[in-house]
Amino acid sequence: MEENILSIKNLTKSFGETAALNNISFNINYGDFFGLIGPNGAGKSTLLKILYGIVVPDSGTINIKGLSFQSADYTKIKKIKYDLGVVPQDDNLDEDLTVYENLLIYSMYFGLPKKESSKRSDELLNFFNLNDKKFSKVADLSGGLRRRVMIARALINNPSLIILDEPTSGLDPEYRQNIWNKLKALNENGVTVLMSTHYMEEAEKLFKNMIILHRGNIVLRGKISDITLNKKSLEEIFLDIAKN
Amino acid sequence: MKLLKKIIDINLSLSLKSWTVFYRNYTVWLKYYKPGIIGDILEPLLYLAALGLGIGTFIHNIDGISYIQYIVPGIIASSSMYAAAFESTFGAYTRMVTKGIYGAILITPVGIEDIVSGEILWGTAKAFMSGAAVLIIGTVFGWIISPFALLIPVVIILNGILFSSLSLLITSFSPSYDFFSYYFTIAISTMFLFSGVFYPVSSLPHLVKYFVYIMPLFYTVNIVRMLDEGRINTAVLLSYLSVIMLFALIFFYASVFFIRKRIIK
Repeated sequence: MEENILSIKNLTKSFGETAALNNISFNINYGDFFGLIGPNGAGKSTLLKILYGIVVPDSGTINIKGLSFQSADYTKIKKIKYDLGVVPQDDNLDEDLTVYENLLIYSMYFGLPKKESSKRSDELLNFFNLNDKKFSKVADLSGGLRRRVMIARALINNPSLIILDEPTSGLDPEYRQNIWNKLKALNENGVTVLMSTHYMEEAEKLFKNMIILHRGNIVLRGKISDITLNKKSLEEIFLDIAKN
Repeated sequence: MKLLKKIIDINLSLSLKSWTVFYRNYTVWLKYYKPGIIGDILEPLLYLAALGLGIGTFIHNIDGISYIQYIVPGIIASSSMYAAAFESTFGAYTRMVTKGIYGAILITPVGIEDIVSGEILWGTAKAFMSGAAVLIIGTVFGWIISPFALLIPVVIILNGILFSSLSLLITSFSPSYDFFSYYFTIAISTMFLFSGVFYPVSSLPHLVKYFVYIMPLFYTVNIVRMLDEGRINTAVLLSYLSVIMLFALIFFYASVFFIRKRIIK
């Protein structure tokens, strides 16, 4: 088996004159909890959106579980998505549906048989402590609960790689802690996690490996212990980078 | 040439996934269908009653049949056009922009082409409900003339595909809901009034007639009327069907291309 679940080589993306990603390369190992950190506009969301096919790169190669694609290869991207869970930054749950319907309809997009999808939905509702909200309309849920539903939805296809774009942004500490615990548990169960954040505390608690992006470039990479070798805290390093 | 190449490059791997998009819309519709059904079904019946029974008392016959019998095929075609157009503009725009449903679907293995074909299927279902309601009422009241009318549902489906595709294409450009006023006023209302729904197109001045020939609804109205009255001209029927399918195909490909262009950056 290959060591890397995700491999990115020389990825570049510009929006008009603005370079969002500048020749980015990195690998993520199976079972990693990999972090992307950087100030606003660093290119984190662009990078993640390229991985799930909403943004097309100008150049570079992406390889996910042995399937590689270069640009607008929609058929390959579709194939890759069968084994990918995605939690985008914007809340895009289907507000016309209940929590349970959201999961069921979503499982159909992955082609899950009905019996399997209801079993999987129940498991996820249980895992995220959402049983009592099963038949609630999504529109009636708080921000923290909605975020849990989004993560549950991203796991409906039992993916081996889950991509989360600032999943705890705007949540109060209790909900954030709750989501951290769930993500840690998932990772311990073998799911590889790729997550972006601009909370340093979150990065320190969760990430095994990470890259720090700034203006579309990787400025630091490695384990947190490697990055903070010179005794500066991650927050101080982050602030130094953001200032330059 | 570059645009043409891009259109050809569109990877149309249509699959059963379109039905999942259709099913999502159907599930939501089931929750709110009661108010919507008034517009889709009752409104064409009101047109039929007001114009057929009202103006019909002043017009004794057209081409040897009563006025209400004359306009039934036109109302079938136009009501299915309106239902498809409303669903694939206001409904689709809400799903694509306001509610972000397309964005949520696209992070799964469902692609733009599946979303577009699912939306077209859904718009066609709405068109079918509306057109079939008029057809049933027309049959019950004896305004349908020929047994060939049994084939009219097929034409309603084709009309639904055609106008859902065209309307989705308009939606792909639309910056806001207000933009649809242009489409409904300039295209849909014009077709409704000039495509031969209420009077034979042959009565129009020559110059206007040529303009009518570029209106997709003209072809549907004529096919439905042909089947309703049992006056089948096979060559005309086949050529008109080809025109409808050609229009639908062009609008479908264009919708996929432009919706992809709008969403994928």
